[in-house]
Amino acid sequence: MQQSIKYPMSSAPVTLVAGLSGSGKTTWIYEQLSESASAVYVGLGSELLIDERYLSVSFPGLRIIPEPLFEEAILHEQIAKGLKIYIEIGFHIDLDGLRLPFNADLCHRVAMIPPGNETIASWTDEVVVGAPIDTGLEVTQIWRSPLTGQILDPASLETFWYELTQGAYGAVHRAKGIFDVVDGRAFYFSFVRGLPKTQYVELKVPRWVEGRPERLSGIEVAGRGFDQKSIASTLSDCGLEDVAIAYYQAQIKQSLGEPVEVSV
Amino acid sequence: MKIAVMSCIHGNYEALNSVLSDIDDQKADKIFCLGDLVGYGPYPNQVVDMIRSLEIPTCQGCWDEDIVEGLNSCECSYPSVLAEKRGRLAHEWTNQEILPETRSFLATLPMVVQEDNLCFVHGSPHSQHEYLLPDIHAFTALERVLSTGAEVMFCGHTHVPYVRTLSEGQFKVRISQSGSDTDKAGQFEAPLKRLINAGSVGEPRHGRTNATYVIYDADTQDVAMREVPYDYQKTCAAIIEKGLPSIFAWRLAQGLEYAERAEDPTHVCER
Repeated sequence: MQQSIKYPMSSAPVTLVAGLSGSGKTTWIYEQLSESASAVYVGLGSELLIDERYLSVSFPGLRIIPEPLFEEAILHEQIAKGLKIYIEIGFHIDLDGLRLPFNADLCHRVAMIPPGNETIASWTDEVVVGAPIDTGLEVTQIWRSPLTGQILDPASLETFWYELTQGAYGAVHRAKGIFDVVDGRAFYFSFVRGLPKTQYVELKVPRWVEGRPERLSGIEVAGRGFDQKSIASTLSDCGLEDVAIAYYQAQIKQSLGEPVEVSV
Repeated sequence: MKIAVMSCIHGNYEALNSVLSDIDDQKADKIFCLGDLVGYGPYPNQVVDMIRSLEIPTCQGCWDEDIVEGLNSCECSYPSVLAEKRGRLAHEWTNQEILPETRSFLATLPMVVQEDNLCFVHGSPHSQHEYLLPDIHAFTALERVLSTGAEVMFCGHTHVPYVRTLSEGQFKVRISQSGSDTDKAGQFEAPLKRLINAGSVGEPRHGRTNATYVIYDADTQDVAMREVPYDYQKTCAAIIEKGLPSIFAWRLAQGLEYAERAEDPTHVCER
C-alpha cells in the first residue's frame, strides 16, 4: 500500500499519474479502482496496451480509451456520465512538453515517487511515495514485442524470465508482459529492479483451448544495453508449434470434461 | 586407498585442469570418471584427450552416448522446449567439432565400471539418462545399487553432489504369472549401501561457479565433497569465441547449468 504525503486527493474529474518506470503508477490506479471501478483509463505512451489489458481484465466495469481515440469530446462525455478518469503518463514522456486535449483545471496531478527521490515533485499536486525501486540504472532503451497468437511453454518462460530479469540480455530496470501459456491460462508478469521478486498474476479470463489465442499478449522491457536479437530469439524458442498446441489443448479439454474432436 | 571420482565435465577444460590439480594435492591413489566428457562446453576434444592420456577409468555419459549413437533420446529428456532447443544446438555444435578419434574413444566407454565393491555409473545402472536425485525414493535407490552387486555406487548426471546412506532393509517380492493361480513370494535382506553423487566438474548446479567432485577413502569409507574454483571466465570467453550460444557463458558465470536442470528424477528414456 502506497503512502500519500502531500495534498489530499482532489475532486477533479481527471487524475494524471506520472512517475519513474516501475514506481507504481498502475498499482496506485489499481488501488483507486478497487474502491470504485466505474472509471475510465487512458495510458499515454503505452504502445502494447499491457497495463490496459491487465486493468480491464481485473475491473470489467472499467472503460479503456486507447490513446489515438483520446479526444476532448470523449473526455467530456465520460465526465458528464460521472466517471472518474485516470490518465497514466508513460515514464518516457516529457512532462514539461506534455499537451493534453483539455483544460488543466480539470486535472489533479499525482506523482509516484520512490522513497528519497524528488525528481518530479515540482510538477505535482500530490506526491505518493511508491515502491522502493532501484533508480540507479539509467533507462536508455525500451524493447517491446507483441506476442498475440503465441502460446508459451511455462517452464521455458520461467527460464527466459529469470535470465531476462537477471541481466542475461542486458541490464533491465523494468519488465512486464502478458503471456498465454499452454494450459489456456494467461498471466501478467511484472518485474522492477530493486523489488524483491516478480509479481505474477493469473488473469481472470477463460482458458483458451481452441488454437492460437486471439487476445492481446506481449512484453515490454526498459533498461540499457539490450541484446535485442537474443531476447527475441529466446522468446521465440519458448513458443509451441501448432502440433504441440493441438496435442496439449486436447488434453486440457479432456481434463476439463469438454468433448474432444477426433479426426478419423 | 583414496580415490577421486568426478563427473560431467562437459567440454570444460579449464575446470578439468583445476580439478586434476586439486586431486594431486589430495594425493588420491586413483581417479574414476562418470562420463559426460562432452556437450555444451567449448573443448570436447581436449577433455577427452586428457582423460585418455591419464588412462582414467571412465563410464559413458548420456552426452557421450548421444555423440556416438546420434541424438535420439525422447523429448521428455528435456524439462522445457527451450532446454530442448538449446540442447540440440549444443549437440549439433559438438557433433561438428568432435574429431573421429574422440568419437571412437567415446564409443568404447562402458556403461558401468566396477572395481572391488565399488561401482561407477553416469545416471544409473539401467540408463545414462536416468536421474537419481538426492530425494529419490529409497526403494528405487536401493534397487539401483543392489542391481550392481556393489556396496557403494557412484553416480553423476544430476550435477548435484550428495551422499545417500541406505540402511539395511527387508524386501518382500511377490510375482504373479498369467495362467497361474498361485503367486510366488520371496523375501531377502538388503545390507547397508551407499549412493554417492560426484556433482559436476564443468557444469555445476549449486549456485556457485566452482567445480565439484568427491574423494572417497575406501579404508575408512569417508567421503569428502570437494569444491574447486577455476578460471570460469576463460571458459565463458571460449564459449563465445567458438560460436556456442552466448547464453551458455552467462549461465556458467552464474553457477547455473548451460541449459536447465531436469525436473523428472525417475525419467528413463524409452527409445
